[in-house]
Amino acid sequence: MAHAEKQYHRFSVAQRIEHLVLILSFSTLGLTGLIQKYAQSGISQALIQFLGGIESTRIIHRVAAVIFVLGAVYHFIVVGYKLFVERRKATMLPGIKDVKDGIGMIGYNVGLRKDRPRMGRYNFTEKVEYWAMMWGLVLMGLTGFMLWNPIATTNILPGQFIPAAKVAHGMEAVLAVLAILIWHFYNVHIKKWNWSMIKGKLSHEEMEEEHAGELDEIERGEAGRIAPLADIRKRRNIFIPLAVVFALVCLFAIYQFVTYEETALTTIAPSASEDAPVFSVPTAVPEALPSSESNGNVQPGFHDGDIGKVNPGNFRDDLSLLAIAPLGELMTRV
Amino acid sequence: MSKPRNNYWLAPVLVIAGVVLVGMAFLLGFVNPVEAAIQLPPEQGPDNTDCLSCHQNPDQTMLFPSREELSITILPAIYGGSAHKNLACQSCHTDISGYPHPENNVELYRYYALQYQDTCKNCHPNQYVEIQDSVHSNLFEQGNLNAPICSDCHDPHSQPVTAKDAEGKPAYTEHAAIANTCGDCHSGIYNQYRQSVHGEGVFVNKNPDVPSCTDCHGVHTIVDPTTAQFRLSSPNMCGDCHTDETIMGKYGLSTDVLSTYVADFHGTTVTLFQKQEPDQMVNMPVCYDCHGIHDIRRSDDPEYGLQIQDNLLVTCQKCHPDATANFPASWLSHYIPSKEKYPLVYYVELVYKILIPTVLGAMVLYVLTDIYRKVMNRRKVKPALVAEVVQQSQPQEAQVPPDVPETPETTEEKAKEE
Repeated sequence: MAHAEKQYHRFSVAQRIEHLVLILSFSTLGLTGLIQKYAQSGISQALIQFLGGIESTRIIHRVAAVIFVLGAVYHFIVVGYKLFVERRKATMLPGIKDVKDGIGMIGYNVGLRKDRPRMGRYNFTEKVEYWAMMWGLVLMGLTGFMLWNPIATTNILPGQFIPAAKVAHGMEAVLAVLAILIWHFYNVHIKKWNWSMIKGKLSHEEMEEEHAGELDEIERGEAGRIAPLADIRKRRNIFIPLAVVFALVCLFAIYQFVTYEETALTTIAPSASEDAPVFSVPTAVPEALPSSESNGNVQPGFHDGDIGKVNPGNFRDDLSLLAIAPLGELMTRV
Repeated sequence: MSKPRNNYWLAPVLVIAGVVLVGMAFLLGFVNPVEAAIQLPPEQGPDNTDCLSCHQNPDQTMLFPSREELSITILPAIYGGSAHKNLACQSCHTDISGYPHPENNVELYRYYALQYQDTCKNCHPNQYVEIQDSVHSNLFEQGNLNAPICSDCHDPHSQPVTAKDAEGKPAYTEHAAIANTCGDCHSGIYNQYRQSVHGEGVFVNKNPDVPSCTDCHGVHTIVDPTTAQFRLSSPNMCGDCHTDETIMGKYGLSTDVLSTYVADFHGTTVTLFQKQEPDQMVNMPVCYDCHGIHDIRRSDDPEYGLQIQDNLLVTCQKCHPDATANFPASWLSHYIPSKEKYPLVYYVELVYKILIPTVLGAMVLYVLTDIYRKVMNRRKVKPALVAEVVQQSQPQEAQVPPDVPETPETTEEKAKEE
């Protein structure tokens, strides 16, 4: 096999599936979130209608949020295993070299340098993305919780935190989506279609361009080094129970997150009785059936200036007649 | 031969033209149906002396079998001040042409009033059409004979001409009279309204800017205010006045009330439902759920005003019973965040307004340098394409053994080739 055609393994199937889940949950969150942020625009309203109205748009957003957070929990456990059990190198940690690489790449791009910096397994563009995603996860998770459970939040924090969280949640979303569109899409799709998250491999040429440092390590046989199997086994026995506890705590927290309060989601309808109109019909409200003697009680001269007004004081209890008699029958009788 | 033929088509054309002209005259208002119905010249006045010879006497009453007693005294001074002063009694009382009057054995006063139910439409056809879908007419059709008919609101013998404003709506001078009329039946609401900021404006200050009943509910087209449509469209109804700078400016009231409501969670939801599912009852609050329906107070009212956080909390708790003292401040009270009002919200927004262009700008700049490099590399390759390929293929095949990494020089050339 010619050297140039050699393929370098980059992402495992599990990592690619994790990334796919992230794509789906992130896109859903971004779409259903931005159309809520810009709900007055025509496109948003068309999409909201397509998704079954604003209520179901909100439900979809929350379902996607839960999947997103579950993905994060899984990620933390896997990273924990790789770092503490297998004692792999923390290749995603940012360092001074990344700043130098960034400056070096700009220098190369504008023609101040002849060659690219030789970047590691994760170059600075990928680290920017990863840590932006981590920052977004924490911020969106916190502000999302506040918006989801405003009553619980205001038990502890001043009320102003809710609209502040809403602003931060919406603006961070704009930042995150645009960053993905500009940074991620350019670096892995537009510049050159990067297959590593689908096929799991990169060509020698691609490695040379973006991960020359890692390539050097691979050639030296230093890349992907893990601890001796016996040590791994020992540490795994500690790690797995801890991971299970961590996962359970996270799952419990997510469950609390989702079910913490009811009234912000389904508010109680305002009581109707309070504002029901109070009628006092001035005419036919007979109290009791007057006896024949009550004829004498008819008050004469009830009409000082009030032309056409009726003396409501004395008339037969004909309420039943009023309520039941159909109009047609009434008119013929009249 | 040809002349008679011309006459044949001329006749229908003339008829159609006549109909069209008369129709247009009606449309353009040349012929007012109300005036058309008056048969007596106004200067002469209707000859009602025969009727009044009896009916102007005081204490004229009519006793129904129900023992209800109806005053049938018509005082010329009052009738002469009414809108109908130029109408003869017989215009409406068409069945009475002399004395003794024809017998009318109706049992209840209400039935007697209902006999005249359709009389008004002879002169007021537009109003008659307007009431057809009103909540009152619907109640009547459901069999509630107490639902108001024309004469319940407009006493035909005494009501003067209603003053109108430029838009043809009842002038503000009529506002108190309108509220009093509605209050005849809706006394509970009337009492609330009198205490409200609007009612006070009508009854105490004679303020032309405040609404009376008909300004929100319509004059004759009074719709059912308990429907989803009414509820969902009500913010726009309130907004009609409350976004009007010329009115609100006089009282130092904000005209941002509607836009800030729509920008918030509650208002966004209501607006979307109004546009997408206008028939769906929604429990998200509209203006009157917080400010009151008829008992709307000033927001700085010392007793009920919503500027007092305790009052606002009670309002929030109507829907959010678990809400505590901090909760009301999560609603921005129609303010646009500023350094003075809701500074946290203001500064969070400010930080993002700086952060977003900075981060995205840096990303775009980097991407542009990368695009620049790609374009430059491609340009360099093109003129010397053949030479490069030859130059490149030789060292690759000849010098590089299969398992030895490429030198930086060769990768450099490969990048250029791209």
